[in-house]
Amino acid sequence: MHLKYESFVREPLVDGDKTYHQVTEDIVRPIEQKPGRMWYIGFYFSVLLLLFGVFSVTWAVYWGLGTWGVNRTVGWGWDITNFVWWVGIGHAGTLISAILLLFRQGWRTGVNRAAEAMTIFAVMCAGQFPIFHMGRVWDGFFVLPYPNSRGALWPNFDSPLLWDVFAISTYFTVSLLFWYSGLIPDFATVRDRAKTKFRKFMYGFASFGWTGAAKSWQRHEALSLVLAGLATPLVLSVHTIVSFDFATSVIPGWHTTIFPPYFVAGAIFSGFAMVQSLLIICRRIMGLEEYITVGHLEAMNKVIVLTGSIVGVAYLTELFMAWYSQVVYEQAAFQWRIAGPYWWSYWAMMTCNVVSPQLFWFKKLRRNIPFTFIMSIVVNIGMWFERFVIIVTSLYRDYLPGSWTYYSPTWPEIGFYLGTFGLFFTCFFLFAKYFPVIAIAEIKFVLKTSGENYKNKMDKIDAKSTEEFIHEQAEAHHH
Amino acid sequence: MSQKQYWKGLEELNKPAQQEVATDEFNEDLPFDLSGNLLDATTPRRDFLKYLGFSTAAAMLAASCEMPVRKVIPYAIKPDDITPGVPNFYASTFVDNGDYCAIVIKTRDGRPIKIEGNEKSSITRGGTSARVQASVLSLYDKARLRQPFSEGHEATFAAIDKAIAEGMSGLSGQAYLLTGSILSPTTKEVISQFIAKFPTVKHVVYDPISYSGMLQANEVSYGKRSLPSYQFDQAQTIFSLGADFLGTWLSPIEFAKQYSAGRRIGVKNLKMSKHYQVESIHTITGAKADERAVCKPSEMGAVAIALYNAVTTGAAPNFGSKKLNETIAKAASDLKKGNGLVVCGANDVNLQTVVNAINDKIGANGTTINWSISSNYKQGIDSDMVNLVNAMNSGQVGALFIHGVNPVYEYFQGAKFADGLKKVKLTVSFADRMDETAQQCKFVVPDNHYLESWGDAEPKTGYISLMQPGIAPIFKTRAFQDSLLTWAGATTTYGQFWNQFWSSKLGSQENFDRSLQEGIIELAIAPSASGATFTGNVANAINALQSSKPASGNKELVLYEKVSIGRGAWMSNNPWLQEMPDPITRGTWDNYACVSPKTAFELGAELTSINEVDYKKHVIKITANGITIELPIVTVPGMHNDVIAIAVGYGRDEKVGRAAAKTGKNAYPFQVWNGLTFDLYSGANIEKTNDFYDIALTQTHNSYEGRAIIHEFSLEEFSKNPEELYRDREEEIGHYTTLPWKKEGYEGNEPKLGEYVAAVPATDALEEGFRENGTLYPNYESPGIHWGMSIDLTACIGCGACVIGCQAENNVSVVGKTHVLKAQEMHWMRIDRYFTGMPNDPDTIQTVFQPMLCQHCDNAPCENVCPVAATPHSSEGLNMMTYNRCIGTKYCANNCPYKVRHFNWMDWNGADCFQDNLYEDGRRDDMNDDLTRMVLNPDVTVRSRGVMEKCTFCVQRLQDAKLHAKKEGRPLQDGEAKTACQQACPTDAILFGNVNDRTSAIYKLRAQEQVHRKFYVLEQLHTLPNVNYLSLIRNTDVIVGGNEKLDGMMNDHI
Repeated sequence: MHLKYESFVREPLVDGDKTYHQVTEDIVRPIEQKPGRMWYIGFYFSVLLLLFGVFSVTWAVYWGLGTWGVNRTVGWGWDITNFVWWVGIGHAGTLISAILLLFRQGWRTGVNRAAEAMTIFAVMCAGQFPIFHMGRVWDGFFVLPYPNSRGALWPNFDSPLLWDVFAISTYFTVSLLFWYSGLIPDFATVRDRAKTKFRKFMYGFASFGWTGAAKSWQRHEALSLVLAGLATPLVLSVHTIVSFDFATSVIPGWHTTIFPPYFVAGAIFSGFAMVQSLLIICRRIMGLEEYITVGHLEAMNKVIVLTGSIVGVAYLTELFMAWYSQVVYEQAAFQWRIAGPYWWSYWAMMTCNVVSPQLFWFKKLRRNIPFTFIMSIVVNIGMWFERFVIIVTSLYRDYLPGSWTYYSPTWPEIGFYLGTFGLFFTCFFLFAKYFPVIAIAEIKFVLKTSGENYKNKMDKIDAKSTEEFIHEQAEAHHH
Repeated sequence: MSQKQYWKGLEELNKPAQQEVATDEFNEDLPFDLSGNLLDATTPRRDFLKYLGFSTAAAMLAASCEMPVRKVIPYAIKPDDITPGVPNFYASTFVDNGDYCAIVIKTRDGRPIKIEGNEKSSITRGGTSARVQASVLSLYDKARLRQPFSEGHEATFAAIDKAIAEGMSGLSGQAYLLTGSILSPTTKEVISQFIAKFPTVKHVVYDPISYSGMLQANEVSYGKRSLPSYQFDQAQTIFSLGADFLGTWLSPIEFAKQYSAGRRIGVKNLKMSKHYQVESIHTITGAKADERAVCKPSEMGAVAIALYNAVTTGAAPNFGSKKLNETIAKAASDLKKGNGLVVCGANDVNLQTVVNAINDKIGANGTTINWSISSNYKQGIDSDMVNLVNAMNSGQVGALFIHGVNPVYEYFQGAKFADGLKKVKLTVSFADRMDETAQQCKFVVPDNHYLESWGDAEPKTGYISLMQPGIAPIFKTRAFQDSLLTWAGATTTYGQFWNQFWSSKLGSQENFDRSLQEGIIELAIAPSASGATFTGNVANAINALQSSKPASGNKELVLYEKVSIGRGAWMSNNPWLQEMPDPITRGTWDNYACVSPKTAFELGAELTSINEVDYKKHVIKITANGITIELPIVTVPGMHNDVIAIAVGYGRDEKVGRAAAKTGKNAYPFQVWNGLTFDLYSGANIEKTNDFYDIALTQTHNSYEGRAIIHEFSLEEFSKNPEELYRDREEEIGHYTTLPWKKEGYEGNEPKLGEYVAAVPATDALEEGFRENGTLYPNYESPGIHWGMSIDLTACIGCGACVIGCQAENNVSVVGKTHVLKAQEMHWMRIDRYFTGMPNDPDTIQTVFQPMLCQHCDNAPCENVCPVAATPHSSEGLNMMTYNRCIGTKYCANNCPYKVRHFNWMDWNGADCFQDNLYEDGRRDDMNDDLTRMVLNPDVTVRSRGVMEKCTFCVQRLQDAKLHAKKEGRPLQDGEAKTACQQACPTDAILFGNVNDRTSAIYKLRAQEQVHRKFYVLEQLHTLPNVNYLSLIRNTDVIVGGNEKLDGMMNDHI
């Protein structure tokens, strides 16, 4: 019972008898060792996937998008589905690092580094799709507002696609800065321990000559807060703007005002699921169970059940609005979604996103690691289907039945998607090998208040009477 | 030349050094220190950057600026009448055997690029068909023969002429000239000269799709072996027994014009003809019918007899089908009121005799059937052909000249014809390509394409249409007539002969020139319609029909011509026609077995919404006449449940061309010789197989779901309450505005619809109010020209002439079957076809066509979503595409509620910056050939891969018309600018013009004449389309479309 310091329900954030040195050892050791066999297998497999993706994209760029299955009615298929999916995944990292930092959520320290890395890699993957879905990708720079010799020719600032360009690039930039600024002290730690010249040089370069002076720490803290302040609105704005691609259109199933909050909730939902998938593997392989504890996973599962319920409500609201509006086109769009040729995608979405996360109301399941892992995959399958349902099953049967078609992906589209997995995991494997996957400095901040061994030391204090405790504290502060 | 020097100022004169500078501007050496190593130089970093810059620039120049070299050879001496960039028009005639259309050829820089209808013709009256529109592409067909052939080897005309002269002199046995129906008087003269030279030659006329039954019946009935002129415009009641007179029967362009003239409905003219159709398959004519009932082909005789009895004795018909009985009884009573017309599509002498008798009884002869002008479209007598084949097989034929027909493919016993051909010593084909017959002939002397030919046509007696070439023969081909004249020993060419013939007929050179220019020679006063006395024996015909044995097999088979491909011939290898969606099935690139939904279900097709979108169709085995073929099934509501229909014209040999080869099956062998005529109907057995075959259908959903995108009314409803549609619109959009007569003090002063136009500014108050108040954004004024289009759903027959007209005008790409399967086709204009009614009851099916193209919305959803502003709006109301700016996000296409934007998925045109990546589909690939590309319209950008495109309202034509008016210093006149679809339409369903011009036809139509029928598709979205539609009025009792109880198509997915 540690009532004097904090609520007894708070479990330690770092398990085991850890000292500062031990923390450094645990986290930096994988960087200094030769990676295991699993790492090599995973890494080369990812590179292969990436190369297949490059081949698929090259194929489509060389021959034309006619190699894809998208058509006159369904102009966006797997390409934009995957884009929205990856962007969604890219939400958790910044949410964890920015919003949870501002809310002083100590538990974020164990997972924020990996989550931020995931964000950056996911946004990189997401960015590929809007680029290569263009018919003339070589003219893609037309979307940038650059001065030109064509008179006053600017991009169309009314277009949500253009807003996307700005939103995604801003988000990527801020996330990258945030992530990197957090990495600087940890890079310096690696540098200081380095035994080879090359490693010392590289990490020295990457840590920008960090000295660990008090002033440096103070500036670092200030920068973190500023970037957190900048990133917080971005977490909400990016997916809001992505949702505008659909919400500002006239297509039944797209044209709806519920999209911004619904998309943001969905993004956090899928982002946390992806963090779960990655960290459950990471902690296991890299032996970081004591830093990424079951408590961490449970906290994220709570976010998943919350956001999952929000998207569930959003789905039902859409159905209600379709009925309530009495607009035949809107009603039919949802009828075709639920019971049309794509019924399976709707029901896959409903099962994965709405029904299955409700199991997390049970504490036992929330703390069950294999179950959490399976659920994290299920949630991301569900969220992929959500984007597919929104994009494809709105387009394929809209206003004029004479124009209705069907859509199935072809191999270059599937290859492109697999390729982004290749890109993501290639980056992630490199990150796991060369970067401290847990924020060493930040873990050390919380170690003395929330580490298991320190928490245990509080037992003695708790045993003291209140008067004695107050007296002691007052004494201590007088000196 | 003088050597004077000029100087700019005194400095220059006085300082010769400066002149040196001027002559050698860059006289300093490049500031590189080349004395030693680069790093030893005084400014190594700068030098390095210089080298870097130079080499990068040089590499870029070398790598990226390679442009393909295209040679253009200018005229050394420019011909008077050819100005680059300015089109020339030549009046001419489209003739394809007996198919006829008066046309105007548009040539650019000496090559024909577009066909328009010739409005001066009183027969086709400016209308065209898809086939006429597409014929220009076949001029540049790669499969056309480029020189004569002798026994499969290239040969010269001289050698062949010599061989034929020898062959004819040593001829043993009879010689035959086998042709299709010939409309040309001079060609007939040439043939008679040829026969005069070789008296053993007999001329046999053979029509692959035969009208022999009608010709023979007319001979029996009226003593004339000819066809009369039909006047559908005069008819108040039309009864068609299986005749697809709007699509394929006899002279569809002419009939479509007449038919639509009899059905121009408006609130001031509430009269329209009543059209009954009894048929076994589903044709576009059936789709337009007011009352439609189905019968088996074997019942057609009985239907004709029942109608005859109903007309004469009033006897009630007694068929199993209630709808059929009703239709016959009602038709009979309507026909008796006068101005009736009965036509029949069966090639059966007895059946046609009964039809003649009905027409006689209802007094059609002399009113709707004109016997004073005979039609010459079809002249073939089937028994002549059968006799010829028998003679060939018995070795009695010594020589055979074949022109215009392809019996090895088209004859019902093609193999027998081929066998006979082997027994003929001298065989000559005039085919334009190595078709199935030409391959087996000793000599192939290719005829010119009609666009390369002089000629004439007399489609109806007294109605002449001249033919002049739009281009000199592209290949070493020779006019058929020239060949005959040469072999007959004549010294004149056909051109001279033709010139003399018409010069002497027309009297003066002036007359000749004018006639050639106009292309038409018609009688100043048309002879008044006259009848003919019916002398046939109806009782005999009825007996013969009643005693004919019933069809065997579990189904009955009907062969039909597709509107696009027709009998096959050159059309089989025309990619435009191959990719044109069939008006009813919306299928492309194949033939298939059409079956009713009920039959399809029995054959294992699950009629669910999944099945609807699956392009893999069940294959069935069809056995008839001892022949079995396998074809996939396509479900067509409105087909008789016991009937399957197969289109002819497919299953061609590979040498016919790439587009024709390798798909579909030849259905001609299913024809039956009944002793008098070739019958297109027979009994058949069908069987399921476990195979599937991909069919490229361009429409997957067949019901319009009762949505307010189409408005249909019965004539009675419309007459009683013409304002219904307007009131519906008022309810939908009226709350955005307070109409002037609803304001305080003006209540009750509401003017009658269509009469208050002067009181309100633009179109009408309702639309103006919605335009301004239905949005948060400011309204843009549109002074000057504002283009608008109106499409009449009552007039539209779905024939697809506009689709191909648009394709020819706007260089619309052909994508090939693999891409149609992926719904990546490019047609800027599509004709949505919706079925309404109960799928299992073909009698209830009512079919609707809706041409759909870019609506040029004034508040276009596509425009504001483009990130690079590649699709802006013009001040004239056009939604424009800037191809150069488009990066191909496809967002605009997604956000288009009408789904009329088309993306260049592939490099269809060879207009790409990636070299050598022309996509190979096999069957469309000839479209990228230099020869085929000659058909491209130079006024329209050829789009490259990766950009969006769509209907432009033919902006090149609008600009041209405006420039013309400007040059002449006058305002643009109404009707001066016409879109390609409007011009191609044979029923004048499309009207186009400046809606800001209050005197224009389109303004009057929208604001006054047709304000009751006018609607905009998806008007409630506030897209403000510039295309309006006019409601579909059917002269029937009940409209099933959108009626929950009667329109089962709304719930069933087939």
